[in-house]
Amino acid sequence: MTDTTRRDFLIQSAGALTVMALMPTIPALARQQGEPLGVALIGAGRQGRAILGELAKLEGFRVVGVCDSDESRLNSGLRRVQGAKGFADHRAMLDGLPEAKAVIIATPTHLHRPIAVDALAAGRHVYCEAPLAHTMEDCRAIAAAAKAAPALVFASGLEARSNPIYKLARSFFRSDAVRDPVAIEAQHFQKTSWRFPAADASRDNEVNWRLDPEVSLGLPGEHGVHQFDVAMWFTDRLPVAVGGAGSIRLHDDGRKMADTTYNTLRFDNNLFMHHQASLANSFGGRSETLRGSNAAIKLAWTAAWMFKEADAPTQGWEVYANRQQFHNEEGITLIADATKLASQGKLKEGVGLPNPPLYYALSDFLKSVRENKPATTTAADGLRATVVAIHAAKAVAAGAEQAIDPAMYEV
Amino acid sequence: MPLLLATHALGTRVELALDEPDSPGLRAVGEEAMAEIHLWHERLSYFQPESFLSFINRSAGHRRVSLDEDLWSLLDLCQRVHTASAGAFDPTVAGLLGRAGLHAAVPASIHDEPADTGWTALVELDEAERTIQFRQRGVRLDLGGVAKGFALDRASETLLRHGVHSAVLHAGTSSVVVLGPAPRTLGVRAGGSRYTLTLRQACLSVSAPRGRVVGDVTHIMDPRIGSSARCVDTALVVGAIGSGAEADAWSTALVALNDRPLAMPEPLRSAIHDGRTWSVHRIQLEHAPEAA
Repeated sequence: MTDTTRRDFLIQSAGALTVMALMPTIPALARQQGEPLGVALIGAGRQGRAILGELAKLEGFRVVGVCDSDESRLNSGLRRVQGAKGFADHRAMLDGLPEAKAVIIATPTHLHRPIAVDALAAGRHVYCEAPLAHTMEDCRAIAAAAKAAPALVFASGLEARSNPIYKLARSFFRSDAVRDPVAIEAQHFQKTSWRFPAADASRDNEVNWRLDPEVSLGLPGEHGVHQFDVAMWFTDRLPVAVGGAGSIRLHDDGRKMADTTYNTLRFDNNLFMHHQASLANSFGGRSETLRGSNAAIKLAWTAAWMFKEADAPTQGWEVYANRQQFHNEEGITLIADATKLASQGKLKEGVGLPNPPLYYALSDFLKSVRENKPATTTAADGLRATVVAIHAAKAVAAGAEQAIDPAMYEV
Repeated sequence: MPLLLATHALGTRVELALDEPDSPGLRAVGEEAMAEIHLWHERLSYFQPESFLSFINRSAGHRRVSLDEDLWSLLDLCQRVHTASAGAFDPTVAGLLGRAGLHAAVPASIHDEPADTGWTALVELDEAERTIQFRQRGVRLDLGGVAKGFALDRASETLLRHGVHSAVLHAGTSSVVVLGPAPRTLGVRAGGSRYTLTLRQACLSVSAPRGRVVGDVTHIMDPRIGSSARCVDTALVVGAIGSGAEADAWSTALVALNDRPLAMPEPLRSAIHDGRTWSVHRIQLEHAPEAA
């Protein structure tokens, strides 16, 4: 670690430990003077409804419109907000709802491009769920449209970058506490068919787009993209190649999409990330483990721990650290605002996040719009993570490593 | 062979048995119903800091919190049952449970000391604005008395919307939904004996103070006196499909009341066992021999 980096870390970590207050500071950031900002949601499926649930916690914003081509989903979305107008078509909403200054796109991945491009062309700030698209062409078109509209905020829905625990963990990862990166492992396990019921049989393919290799990036795309981004963000490195394999281990129901996948990302410094995902077994859920020569950090969405090597130097703050036992290992719980909580004798109360990561991503986006500042997670970040996801999906389909042209990462 | 799906949510095991052979389409509907259970677990959990209920508990003492249609309907139901039961059902009992050590897993607020119990005095629902606000900081709502029934109601809606009309869904066996006209015989334990009742197209809620005990404190408190409800061994409430949350709230209230009040809605059937005998209202229970 260079002196500059170490000094930066000391400044960053001191800030993280003493300043980062999780509640209720962040809603207060959104509490601004003036008219509430009009926000519209496009895509009221399960993720869209989760977004509405988190928006309900924020102040200073008003959901003015909900758009979905499926009447049942649209009505479910409208149940979650008071006074919002419903639309079946995003163009009709952009034309007919001028009070919607920002739109949140939570449609199926392959539908993002026309909506994002139209919204930016109509002068709307955009939050777009990740992956940005299912093809390089669509992904680059979205990133180019965002670049061509510098006055507008474009946020990619890579939630880890707004997650206070992940931000804190990153500061440790980039310090002497973890030291030299050794290896990265990530997993996403859940038990589900990934099949959704359609209101009528004619819409079955539309609803089950995740199972269609023509329009879906499968597990590496829909879940892996967030975890690939964590590795890229923590290391500030880009993969040069992705290997992959996949098979159907449980849901042999005529689908062509693998229900269990493996990917290996090779970074430009020969660091490797192994990613596993399955819809056939849920043990362990979602996590990322980043190993360094002094310690390993395990991230699990709303919690994180550090496991130190026996020969790693002891840090002063470890005296009051909260610890948790994992079989034969003892993890130090990474807690935002730890110094303040420890001084109040309430360290254990800081374990975990008081809101889901989605809340912080939305809060960051709306704050950027309000303050006219760049998004925490930009279109370029979204492009890079999506490029890796697209190559990872190709690697699974081909069963062979896919080289990534570095030019693909540029907008 | 019927399709059985199971998951862990709402602090218990949730099972869904669908009366048709396994098929990708039927499994998708069942998983959608289970996703609805998880959604409400994540929204209503008292123990998960990131749930919407935890957000209400943290925020409503400081400002008004907007509620969506579903949450409004649930909290409005809580208020109605609280009033009709003369305070025997009270989600603000969380403070009492905390002091009794039954909510030890939940840390006290970083900002506020726990408040007293008493919905009427502490909770303000604004119907026009569809908001909730606490009149005092430190108030905590625990919706454990209705959350299972409410989640099962929403899951039942999902099943019916997708054309599934025959199924059994339960959360920890204490909240049950029976969809369809086929009679189902369910077993209930009360006063050390086993009984059965037959249900069709109905939901059932069972409350018993013996469910969870810490020291000599039971998990069902009588909010009116501020201590454990002890007179009732088991209370059952049966209602129509869609009234699972209401049945849950009333079965909790009956444990404290030890008697069916006149204000209890007539469509809800009930049975209360005081440890020796049943006091029943339009429910037929059969004494069942112990299994060999």
